[in-house]
Amino acid sequence: MEAIKVEHLVKEYTIVKKEKGLGGAVKGLFAPKKEVVRAVDDISFVIPKGEITAFIGPNGAGKSTTVKMMSGILTPTSGSVLIKGKNPATQRKEVVQNLGVVFGQRTQLNWDLRLGESFELMRHIYQIEPSLYEENMKMMDQILGISEFINTPVRQLSLGQRMRGDLVSAMLHSPDIIFLDEPTIGLDVEGKYAIRKFIKEINRVKGTTIILTTHDLQDIEELCKRLIIINRGKIMEDGPLEALIDRIAPYKELVVVYFDEEFAEHEKAEIVSREGNIVTYRFEKKEMTGARLICDLSEKKKFKDATIKETKIEDIIRIAYAEQI
Amino acid sequence: MKSVRHYLDVTFYNIRLALMTILEYPGDFLGWLLSNPIQFVVGFATIRFVVQEFGTINGWDQGQLAFLYGISVISHAFSMMLFVQGWFMGYYVVEGEFDRYMLRPLSVLYQFFFTNFNVFGITDLIPGICVFAYGCMQVHFAWNISRVAAVLLLIAGATMIRGGIYIFMGTFSFWTKSVNDFAGFTQEFFDKTTMYPLTMYPKAMQFVLTYLIPIGWISFYPAEGLLKGINTGVIFTFFIGVVVLAFAGIFFQYGLTRYESAGH
Repeated sequence: MEAIKVEHLVKEYTIVKKEKGLGGAVKGLFAPKKEVVRAVDDISFVIPKGEITAFIGPNGAGKSTTVKMMSGILTPTSGSVLIKGKNPATQRKEVVQNLGVVFGQRTQLNWDLRLGESFELMRHIYQIEPSLYEENMKMMDQILGISEFINTPVRQLSLGQRMRGDLVSAMLHSPDIIFLDEPTIGLDVEGKYAIRKFIKEINRVKGTTIILTTHDLQDIEELCKRLIIINRGKIMEDGPLEALIDRIAPYKELVVVYFDEEFAEHEKAEIVSREGNIVTYRFEKKEMTGARLICDLSEKKKFKDATIKETKIEDIIRIAYAEQI
Repeated sequence: MKSVRHYLDVTFYNIRLALMTILEYPGDFLGWLLSNPIQFVVGFATIRFVVQEFGTINGWDQGQLAFLYGISVISHAFSMMLFVQGWFMGYYVVEGEFDRYMLRPLSVLYQFFFTNFNVFGITDLIPGICVFAYGCMQVHFAWNISRVAAVLLLIAGATMIRGGIYIFMGTFSFWTKSVNDFAGFTQEFFDKTTMYPLTMYPKAMQFVLTYLIPIGWISFYPAEGLLKGINTGVIFTFFIGVVVLAFAGIFFQYGLTRYESAGH
């Protein structure tokens, strides 16, 4: 059975438009201008068990709203969500018993007390067996090194430490599915590395199904086989990262440094730029390989150096965000 | 049965956490311990002053008023311990603070009240018990087992009525989307209506406070009954408390479907 099934999911909000100044405020009181906004507009997808999927999209695209509907926080306007066959809107307690959710922007830890106390609270809330609790704590400590700061009050933790604490707290009851909403936001290189390692390990060892939303493209490159791009509440793209790259940038570039201003040409590679002895060729990935092109060119004319350039993921995502259905 | 044990287990742990939080900030607790009783001492001093000037309030003498006021303050103290969060529900709605409770396999309303178990409520309980004990002595309240049971039932019912009303008022925030800080207003209103005999207010207000907002049942009706030697009146208070609380809970659950969290 699939871990998550979302069908024709819609979430609408009513927002009241305010006009400027006191006059506008009075007007808004008597004749409020209401506007219905579709934050999530008819999206459907299925996530199989054990998959790591990234939700990406610009700010305000509907990612968090979707995650919040999947975790039972928001009630959908229409459409359905099934988490292991159960509806989080009506069977919230059963669904969350098997779910771990972390919001990068908001901690769920007890601010005033030492970190360990928040973990103990989870043990009581989820009624975790002592042996499982010990085992999970040991595993988390190995990956995230939390024993270093487990006795520090949460308010005194650094952002990176707090984030690790939040991840542990969400994993202690061994959920089958976890949602991570911007888990690497604001973290330094070391922090991001630890979180990514954690996600990979949990997925590998426990087969946990993971959905994460992120703005960090390195998260996607390192972690996710599958990418869902959400923009203006709709799914713009759903598939492996490679497929997206192939669609938006089906070509690569080869930069060749010749010994002098003379250079070779090739019928399957277009010359996009030439500066002195440096020539940049562009070739379709389907028709040509980099090795073949280097080989062909070097037969025609000797050169010093050749570099294959892939289109940057950043540029690909930017192009994808700008597309409209 | 299993779920009752689950809730009890979490409750005890939450109370432990609340005590640990106090130890983390001992100065805060000391401040409350000193300042809170003063509020009620002043309250009772006002009553005494009025009684000394006019003899009685609507036929209630000083001892009877202390008896009434004591019930009011004790039930207030318990409602502060268990339900004070209700005053700040609007903040939770607007700031999206309910998210974390909705992610855990326990009732949201239960977590809302018990995660922040308010030990400070005890600081209200002490003056309440003092005033009540003073009133009991003055009116020569004859204690026996059924009267102990009646008073306990009364306190439980009165606490539930207060808690239910807090939940009701807080739940409106799901529609208004505003912080609706009604703490000061509620405190004032409950004080004025539960510490004096209800009969001193105009008929229309008595009607409202008896049938529409059952505040009269928190202290006035049951105290009047107990002072006349009728114990059964407290059953009404308890029953009304259960109904108000249950109704508030259903209303809250409905409001929660309109919860919008914060940020999208």
